[in-house]
Amino acid sequence: MEQEIRACLYQKRYQEAFERLLPEFQNKVFRLAYAMLGDAALAEDMPQEIFVRIWKALPGYRGQSSLSTWIYAITRNACLTALKAIGAKREVSMEAPGVARAVESRGTVSVPRAGVDVLRFLDQLPEKHQQVMRLYYMEEKSYEEVARLLEWPMGTVKTYLHRARKELAEAVARSKMKKGTR
Amino acid sequence: MACAEFEQLLLEYPELENGARARVDAHVAQCSGCREFLDALLVVDSQLTAEFAGQEVSASFAPAVHQRVQSAAPLARPSLVPELLDFAGWGAIAALAGLLAWWLVPLVPVPHWELSLDASFAAVGAFLLAALLVGIRSFADLKD
Repeated sequence: MEQEIRACLYQKRYQEAFERLLPEFQNKVFRLAYAMLGDAALAEDMPQEIFVRIWKALPGYRGQSSLSTWIYAITRNACLTALKAIGAKREVSMEAPGVARAVESRGTVSVPRAGVDVLRFLDQLPEKHQQVMRLYYMEEKSYEEVARLLEWPMGTVKTYLHRARKELAEAVARSKMKKGTR
Repeated sequence: MACAEFEQLLLEYPELENGARARVDAHVAQCSGCREFLDALLVVDSQLTAEFAGQEVSASFAPAVHQRVQSAAPLARPSLVPELLDFAGWGAIAALAGLLAWWLVPLVPVPHWELSLDASFAAVGAFLLAALLVGIRSFADLKD
């Protein structure tokens, strides 16, 4: 499929190329955005914006890297920009209680669950550990796919995953123990 | 082997070979601490799999993207800068190769024929011509 899309781009049939690449990459782009941003509501809108950016950038694609690598790089850059904006909003929110409430309501309120709420523990991990964990479970536990999408070395992906899963398992065990002693 | 090492193996359990798995299974069967860790790990895996596995965009995603793309400004003509850089780069490589040849030719003993300065300039000219052709091809690619 990638070859066909590249052929369309080479012949400057941008509309056709876009028609082909959208269904091919929409789920991957959505998952990568969701993993990086950690917010389904934000991740719903962000991939749409990313595909508009991809559309605008199509004439500039010169085939130096594979199409998927190029698309994932655009996705990561857009998400990193969004994360910076969210970080800046949080800083403002320290001084403005109204903004604080708006920012805090950004999907961080965990839904009460029966038993232990692993998602609440996940939210407390370092950002990169959260990203790699979400993507790992979205991508059917494939280290290779996680490394490819985030463009991190395989060793880094494995190290982050092991640390994060260990921390979560320990948090769950502690939580169970507390409940058991009550 | 200490429990900390077994915890590490439990994290890698799906990738373990049969022998290592058997050792881990035997240890977990008789160690309550590691069994608790394994139970907790299974809770983590099952909840996060239920939360994140199989995430896909909604059916309205593609139409929404098309709508946004249609309302976006028309595509800009690609920049000529990369092609100009291509041409400059090839030209520079050709010039360097020519200069190198001009410097080396007097140092290399050639038994039956002698390369003159004119030959070196001819080589430089040939390289520059090749660079020009590459540049023209790149410009041609830009035509609609």
